Amino acid sequence: MNSRSGIVIGALVFAAAVCLPLLSRSLPAIAGPYPLAVARDIFVYLALAVSWDMLFRSGQVSFGIAGFFGLGIYGAALSSLRFGFPAWLSILAAGAFAALVAALFGLVILRLRAIYFSITTLALAEIFRIIFHNGGDFTGGAEGLIMPSLISNSDSALYWVALSAVAAAVLASSWFERSKIRFALTAIRNNELQAKSSGIGIFKYLMIAFVVSSFIQGVAGGVQLQIYGAASPDDSFDTNFTLLPLAMALLGGVHSTAGPAIGAVILGIVSETLKLKIPYGHLVVYGIIIVVVILFMPNGLYGLWRGRTARRADAGRGGERRHHGGPQEPGPGTVGAEEARRG
Amino acid sequence: MANLETRALTKRFGGLVAVNDVSFDLSRGEILGVIGPNGAGKSTFINLVSGIYPPTSGTIHFNGRDVTDMEAHRRAALGIARTFQLIHPLEDLDVLENVMIGFLFARRLSRKEAKRQAEALCASMELEDLHRGVAQITMLETKKMEIAHALACAPELLFLDEVMAGLNAEETLDLIGLVKTIASRQNIGMGVVEHVMGVIRELTHRVIVLENGAIIAAGPYEEVVNDPRVREAYLGGAL
Amino acid sequence: MQMKRKTIVPTTSSTRALVAGSAGLVVAIAIFLWKPTVLVYGLQRAGLYAAIAIPMALVLGIVHIVNLSHGEFMMVAAYLTYFAAKLLGLDPLVAMVPVSIVMSVFGFAVYRLTIRRALRAPELNQLILTFGLGIALSQSINLLFTSQSWNLSLDYVTSSATVGNYSFGTYDFVFVVAAIVFAGGLRLFLTRTRMGKAALAVGQNPRGAAIVGIDVDRAYAFVFSLSVGLIGLMGALFLTKQAIFPTVGGPYTMKSFCLVAMAGVGNITGVLWGSLALGLAEVAMTNVRALRDWSSIVFFVIIIATILVRAIRERKA
Repeated sequence: MNSRSGIVIGALVFAAAVCLPLLSRSLPAIAGPYPLAVARDIFVYLALAVSWDMLFRSGQVSFGIAGFFGLGIYGAALSSLRFGFPAWLSILAAGAFAALVAALFGLVILRLRAIYFSITTLALAEIFRIIFHNGGDFTGGAEGLIMPSLISNSDSALYWVALSAVAAAVLASSWFERSKIRFALTAIRNNELQAKSSGIGIFKYLMIAFVVSSFIQGVAGGVQLQIYGAASPDDSFDTNFTLLPLAMALLGGVHSTAGPAIGAVILGIVSETLKLKIPYGHLVVYGIIIVVVILFMPNGLYGLWRGRTARRADAGRGGERRHHGGPQEPGPGTVGAEEARRG
Repeated sequence: MANLETRALTKRFGGLVAVNDVSFDLSRGEILGVIGPNGAGKSTFINLVSGIYPPTSGTIHFNGRDVTDMEAHRRAALGIARTFQLIHPLEDLDVLENVMIGFLFARRLSRKEAKRQAEALCASMELEDLHRGVAQITMLETKKMEIAHALACAPELLFLDEVMAGLNAEETLDLIGLVKTIASRQNIGMGVVEHVMGVIRELTHRVIVLENGAIIAAGPYEEVVNDPRVREAYLGGAL
Repeated sequence: MQMKRKTIVPTTSSTRALVAGSAGLVVAIAIFLWKPTVLVYGLQRAGLYAAIAIPMALVLGIVHIVNLSHGEFMMVAAYLTYFAAKLLGLDPLVAMVPVSIVMSVFGFAVYRLTIRRALRAPELNQLILTFGLGIALSQSINLLFTSQSWNLSLDYVTSSATVGNYSFGTYDFVFVVAAIVFAGGLRLFLTRTRMGKAALAVGQNPRGAAIVGIDVDRAYAFVFSLSVGLIGLMGALFLTKQAIFPTVGGPYTMKSFCLVAMAGVGNITGVLWGSLALGLAEVAMTNVRALRDWSSIVFFVIIIATILVRAIRERKA
């Protein structure tokens, strides 16, 4: 599938999604209040999954989605309650807040690689949670904040607000795919030494990926606030907001815009049906999916499909990559350390 | 003034001195051979010049400018390029896209322009069928792609790290011809690290010899190869 | 012109150890003068953290993967022990042994089915794999037994002692004992037994070890199973003092990683010292009213700080 038909298909799907609530009276089964509510939850996760993938394209695994998402929720709540921002502006403020925090921390943590970066993002999410928990009256402490008024109470309006988060994520991700950024992130992921020796400023592009993906996560948080009307340390920074998008992106197919979106829709629907049947532990499906996908189809569903229809019969893509030299010791610094020891 | 000047360049890894007080010059149009026994510090030397490691002490000047602390990607944009001994091409990009990288980032061209110039460059190097994945090309094609990748940065100076390794005699001759043409046509200065003496003899104007990180001899190939210190370094003793 | 890089951090390891040691001594004396029980509880908590971290260090040092489901294995062991106690009437300290054996077998199965396949894949995949494993384990338990927390009330865990004006709980010293036994036992195993030496060799150079005839895969399987067996012992111990619920393991995975990252790969003594520092810091903070809410942040801040310091040092090298 070339990029032009991709744009056409994407536009059609988006148009269909926009029109869905208009059918709520004629087709309540797929457009009534309950499906719309499920859909808007899926949209929030979709935005998170796509944004996670945007950073993952550089080779960095973030376990901190929940952190920036929570920052978005609180950012939106505080900007509304303490600074009087109108709802739509609070969503933008949420994104900006998350992006700013990402930029500040990124200056430091983007020098890390592999497990060290990943664990640091996880630690950051926890630190954010504790800070907002201990923020006293300003942040609402352990109980958090409740919004007295929201953008709307209508299902359709909230659906469209959530859809706007999807639009933002998809647009940002497509920008990454269609510009030089795609080359930079892929090069960094494949071989940092090669990348930097060809003029790619690694830190600059990692920063772009990190800040933009955090911005989207913040926006998703702002939207979440409008849907649920509350911010609280434990709920807003819940690790499910890291786990689910990750599984969705993996299942759907990483390193693409369509993949995480497909994964979000599939897993969102699966999760919703499971939740009704299994009161506890329906998330076990997610764990199993992550394990199975990473072992047997690391390029996800979209990757499988793309591989089958690709014009180029390319043995280099898809499947597991051979790692030179077997299991390696993770080092916190740059990848160059390993080459260095070979002299 | 030479394009590249290093003075007292030294690199220590903990207690190991990999590059020891190396001072040398390289100018455009020259082809310099860098030889020495295994572990002599040749690759580390290239890594210092291209900016992969910061030196422990010493300086590097490029066109009069102090680049000692400059990051690798900026040196690539300025005009210092290199190939890698262990070639790990970017496996998620095809051959053409691998070559486009330098055009896109070191030269900051647009995608369209980068594609056009990359195609032209590959054609001039007789690299064909550019949409193959990097796992499907031959050894010689891999080497050509690696050199093309470096040339895409529009370098004034190019360092080739054992680029002939793993090629048979015919392929080696092919590549030598290619390198010579490139050097003269684009007036690129080259530093060629090699183990195959035939290549050094064919290609280079002068040679420096490294042992344990230090230069033990310098001069034209004939002189250097007959230097008793060089023989001892390679063979471990007088014959 | 020569350019000398200034080193701010003392470069020799003995001067560093001296500085760290004296700083530590000063801090310990200060704490003792302020509230001696903090030293006791800090030590006990350090023991808990160290005993849990050591098996992770073992796997990281030899198989070279970070097991992000480490805490979840401990949780599963704790649940097994719970059932042994409730259904078979076994005291956890007794059930410890069979539970550990069952866990080792389970660990072996997990290794063969999943981890082994991922060893050739990029590190990212291994990371995500163990992350997914952890979720699968904790949510399976959630599915089977709900998220309610369970605990056993055992009388011996409330034992205490009184010294001068201070009284403190003494049961938790069992964690300190466990940590020391693990550390010492592993050192003996790795340096004195054939299997252990083979494992060490594999950890240092898998290809080289294979060339001299060591079955690398068997070594990995053994080490991984051993690690899960050890953490199984800890799961039983854990149950004696703490309540368990499906996600109880998560924070311990993070804290173990923090300690292992701080100490450096293969440095088990470093893990012990690190645990001491962190255990004391955590307990000290909970005793200062103003800092109490921030005590759980200690680990996270220290993880990040340590990782950064090492990254900076590696760059300067």
